[in-house]
Amino acid sequence: MKVIEIRDLHKIYKASDIEVHAVNCVNLDFQEAEFAAIVGPSGSGKTTLLNLLGGLDMPTSGQILIDGTDLSMLKSSALIDFRMRNIGFVFQSYNLIPVLTAKENIEFIMSLQKWIKKEREERSFELLKAIGLSDRTNSRPAKLSGGQQQRVAVARALASRPKFVLADEPTANLDSKSASTLLEIMEKLNHEEKITFIFSTHDPRVMKMARRVITLEDGKVVSDDVRE
Amino acid sequence: MKDYQLAWKNLWRNKRRTLITAASVFFAVFFALVMRSFQLGTYDSMYKNVIESYTGYIQIQHQDYAEEPILDNSFEADPEMMKKVKSDPNVKDVVPRLESYTLAASGSRTQGVMMLGVDPEKEENLSGMRDRLVKFKLTEDAIEALKSTDLPDRTLRLLDLFRNEAYSSTGRMMLDLGISTEDSTVVLPVLRRNASFTNKYFSGSSDGEVLIGSGLSDFLKINVGDTLILMGQGYHGTSAAGNFIVAGIIKLPSPDIDKRIVYMPLETARELYAAPGLATSAVLSLKDFDDKSIDKTAVRLKTFVADPLAVKTWRELNALLLNQMEADNRSGMIMIGILYLVIAFGVFGTVLMMMAERRREFGMLVSVGMQKSKLAKVVTIEMFLMGLLGVISGIIASLPLVYYGHFRPLRFTGEYARMYEDYGMEPVMPTLLPDTYYLWQTVVVMIIISIAIIFSVRKIFRIDLISSLKA
Repeated sequence: MKVIEIRDLHKIYKASDIEVHAVNCVNLDFQEAEFAAIVGPSGSGKTTLLNLLGGLDMPTSGQILIDGTDLSMLKSSALIDFRMRNIGFVFQSYNLIPVLTAKENIEFIMSLQKWIKKEREERSFELLKAIGLSDRTNSRPAKLSGGQQQRVAVARALASRPKFVLADEPTANLDSKSASTLLEIMEKLNHEEKITFIFSTHDPRVMKMARRVITLEDGKVVSDDVRE
Repeated sequence: MKDYQLAWKNLWRNKRRTLITAASVFFAVFFALVMRSFQLGTYDSMYKNVIESYTGYIQIQHQDYAEEPILDNSFEADPEMMKKVKSDPNVKDVVPRLESYTLAASGSRTQGVMMLGVDPEKEENLSGMRDRLVKFKLTEDAIEALKSTDLPDRTLRLLDLFRNEAYSSTGRMMLDLGISTEDSTVVLPVLRRNASFTNKYFSGSSDGEVLIGSGLSDFLKINVGDTLILMGQGYHGTSAAGNFIVAGIIKLPSPDIDKRIVYMPLETARELYAAPGLATSAVLSLKDFDDKSIDKTAVRLKTFVADPLAVKTWRELNALLLNQMEADNRSGMIMIGILYLVIAFGVFGTVLMMMAERRREFGMLVSVGMQKSKLAKVVTIEMFLMGLLGVISGIIASLPLVYYGHFRPLRFTGEYARMYEDYGMEPVMPTLLPDTYYLWQTVVVMIIISIAIIFSVRKIFRIDLISSLKA
């Protein structure tokens, strides 16, 4: 089942008189439960494409349909609401809320969606267990290592069962052991929760683990390899 | 998680910054309240002193008397009208006075004075004159005698500061001389033996007797039993002169009036000034004398007090004093304004820092689905709580000082006291108990905080997600 459809997507940035084609006529589809990596050299348009998919930026032209909804047709507050209900984000620098504990960070989007307390707690315990941090429930981000913080960020992204998760260079700030643990957890959750994961990455470990690798160059898709 | 819970947690994410900002608000509120309290307390005390020593809260006068305060502008009260005045629900009594400026002399000294002919009984009920009679005086002789007694060291040291001071209130004397309630049983009898002052109020046979202010007594160097010569102009240009015996010395809180006041029985004054049955003013003794009640009473009276008489409230009677105080008040407001300006910059500095520091976090929150309005609400609660923390702690900290200053006011001595008295002010600085000015200081601080809130809310609504996430 198609989760995302990208049609003739363009993103052009204008810096003084120069136009930069960050995303150049991209056409892609993503299915449910995919584990896909978008790769390419720096400046190839990976992060821009991810930002457009997440509705954080608007395309110059083209369409992004998520479950049939055209993102460019949504108004600002409706778009925020749409992101909350359909998209999970994992950022390179974790971006947890520093004043909340691991459990509260995971519950945060569920509380924005007004889940009842009991369901929130059940889901957060389930995820804390899945990411191997059930003993750090009440630890604040500052008390967690980088790898642990990124695992909490993944749990937060998955907590409200979004349609897909966008992860921008999720392993970039992690040592190799933490990165491997994180990838294993993400793959396990991808299997269990049937949630699509889309990464932008330079990390060969991510590329190795991904079941689909999309390569971008100068904003264009130059290859799209699907592995069994 | 509720918005206020998140705001509360955010408030303490950088304890030092929150405390510094709250402390700046705290100090602004604290100093503004204490400054304002001293300023308003001093005005209040001055108004009360003048009102209670002299003008009263409402007077009925001849309409030209305010412009030209001479006996020719006196009036003979219509008994029917006075009956009607007395029947007003807020009027206890009507106290007639005959007032004139005259020359007072004793020995080689003369002084222009204000002579007030009063009905002894009614005046006593109106202004409690009997209580103003001097009970103690720290004369040179009294101080020398007291120094040879075994008074506490603190009291002995303070005696010199209050040399020649006259006291109509034992409490005030105890306060000045540092006499505690526990010591009073031992110390007061010693003071009574050595410094008490014999005085008497007007009685039925007071014809030819006067009471004078203690300041006037010091200036003319006359005492109880001495003769005072008064010489002036009576009704319709007659000459008015006479010798009077000083029956008592009174201490009025307003030094300016204390230096120039002579009281005599109304009938004696009418005889002296050839003004039988006349009065220059009828002072009203009121049941309630808050501003609202006074204004309402004046409005009621004005409906039937007709030409050539006029009803004047204490504000109209003391217009010059009020203008002086208003000018002083403005300078105080400017000082407080500067104080708040400094605080406003402090608060804005904190807000700018906070917005810059949390830019990425705000970007992340909106990215993951927090509505900008909800984020703005959390930040508003945070800043509101921070302001409130400073305001409430500032108010709480100011209260003991304001209450202490009200019941034990700062009292100047020596040169400072003389300077105050030269300006016609009592050398004390009492504070005003918490009133609407407390509310106003809170409102001003909260307006500053609100402007800072508007600034940050605007920033939140204009947030650019991509650049925020890169910050």
